[in-house]
Parts: sequence; structure tokens; C-alpha cells
Amino acid sequence: MDKRKETGGNRAMRLFIQNRWFLPGLRLALGGVFLYAGTTKVIGPQAFADSIATFKMLPPQLINIVALGLPPFEILAGLMLVSGWNARAASLAVAGLAFVFGIALGQALIRGLVVDCGCFGSGEPSTLKTWGSFGRALLILAGSLWVFCMQDTD
Amino acid sequence: MKTLRADLMVIWLVATTALCVGLLINQFRDTPLPLVYKDKAERLQDSVQRIASKESASAPAPMVHLPEKLSLEEFASYVENKRGLILDARPEIFHRLGHVPGALSLPRDDFEKGYAAVKAKLETDRSQPIVIYCSDASCEDSGLVKKSLAALGFSNLTLYEGGWNGWTNAKKPEETAQ
Repeated sequence: MDKRKETGGNRAMRLFIQNRWFLPGLRLALGGVFLYAGTTKVIGPQAFADSIATFKMLPPQLINIVALGLPPFEILAGLMLVSGWNARAASLAVAGLAFVFGIALGQALIRGLVVDCGCFGSGEPSTLKTWGSFGRALLILAGSLWVFCMQDTD
Repeated sequence: MKTLRADLMVIWLVATTALCVGLLINQFRDTPLPLVYKDKAERLQDSVQRIASKESASAPAPMVHLPEKLSLEEFASYVENKRGLILDARPEIFHRLGHVPGALSLPRDDFEKGYAAVKAKLETDRSQPIVIYCSDASCEDSGLVKKSLAALGFSNLTLYEGGWNGWTNAKKPEETAQ
């Protein structure tokens, strides 16, 4: 039987992931991020609508609807992740959001658009920040898919 | 499969609730967001039209020769000699945190309120030069405010494109709101 030797780094990673606090911790972190992101956007929907417009993906008829509906959705999904109520569904929702954010940011980078992510309120648009936001979306996608796969059904 | 369907049903319910909550909160805002998006220029144009409809037409101001844009040195001479009116087109919060000495706030994103506040100073002498700035050369706020003031009958308008960043990078004096 071919039994490969486990390196120290791999073992530490396995123990970290298998720790009983890892999944609740990940849920809390993801939930906290979405609670914060949603709250900053609920406060300034016009600035968020302007951020969405910089992506040049949605028609004007949909931009404000998304700017009004998305922040409460993020807050509710964040609350569900933090509380653990329907956490599997919430993690799937968060994964979906992260996927859409990744597509939006990726197409902006490919098209050379200087966008304001608007993820945590409005800010100065920059390509460097867009790359950072793209990386963050991928991390959130990976984390939420992990929660979705590992979380017990309610 | 059954569990996934149940998860998707929960997501659909949460999304519907979130949209209803978002639309409801919007109704209680001072200025609710319209359902169809208007960009910055269109919103500013609406503000200008509302202001213009309230005001009687003014006689056009005599033209003074002004360059389209000012260099840092030219702008500094306007500031130091207190020549004309300096307007800060950035959001009001940034103006409060720091601005060019003597500059008044006329934010692009709250033009109607800002215009009402500086109107008396603007009307003192319609022929005075008005220099507008925002953050830096990439921001469009100063250009949009310039267009709006031109639409309201002010003709001696110019821009300092270097903006607040150009001013502070050159280690020029700053002023904060009291």
C-alpha cells in the first residue's frame, strides 16, 4: 500500500480545517463581512447605484432596483450565517453573490473599466482596488462553498 | 436534491423580502431614489432646472478673459490675492475636513442645497471670476459644476484641474471648516 508521508504544513492545515471551531468561525467571518457590507450600502443607496453604473452591465431600469434590494439581502444573508439559521441556504446565496461580483469585477478588468467596487460603501475608483476586490470575491466564493458543503442541513 | 430545492426556496423568499424591505426603506428617505437610475450629469441637470425655474432670468455677466484651466501657480495667485470666488465641488464632508483657503463648498452631489448656501456670494458680483476644483484631474465634479453654473447664467468660470490632491501635494496652505 502506497502511503505518502504527510508534510508538516499539510498536517497543520488539515488539523486547522478539521477543528470543530473552523466552520462556525468561517460562518461568523462571512456573515460579519456581509452584515457590514450591506449596512454601509443601505445608508447610501445613491452612491451604491453610481458604483453599479460604473460596471456598465445593467440598464438604468435595473440599477436602482439592485441598489435598493441588494443591501437588505446581504444583511439578511449575513444574519442567517451568523445565527446559523438556514446557514446552508445563506452560504449558497453568498456564494452566488460572490460569483456575480467576481464576474462583474472580472469583466471590468478585462474591458479596462476603472470602477468603484462599492462593496463597502463608495470610494475612489482604481484598477488596483478592483484587483483586490476580485481576489476578495474569489476568497468569499471559496469560503461560502466550503460552508455550503460542510454545513449540516437544518 | 430535495435539500438543494429547499435551500433555493429559502433564498428566493429572502431575496423577495429584501427587495420589499429595500423599497419600503426608500419611501421613508428624505429624497427617495427613483426607480429608474439617472447618472450624475442628469441629476445635476435636474437640479439646475429646478433652480432656474425658481429664479428670474439674470442679465448675462460681462465677460472677463479667463483661461479654460488654471495651472497650480495661477490658481495659487487667485487664492493668495483673494481674487474672485473659489468653489469646492467635492462632497461637503471632504470640504469640512480640509479645503483651499477661502474656498466655498458647492458640492456636485448636493448642488441645490450648496447653491442656496453660496448664492448670495455668487450674486454679489456676477462678473467676478469663479474657479472650481474637485479632487484631481480624474474627477468630473468640477467640470459638471462649471457647466451647471454656466447654465444658470455665470460666464466667468474656470477650473483648477489639479484639485485638492494637486494643492496638498504642493504643500500649499489648508483650511478646515469651523
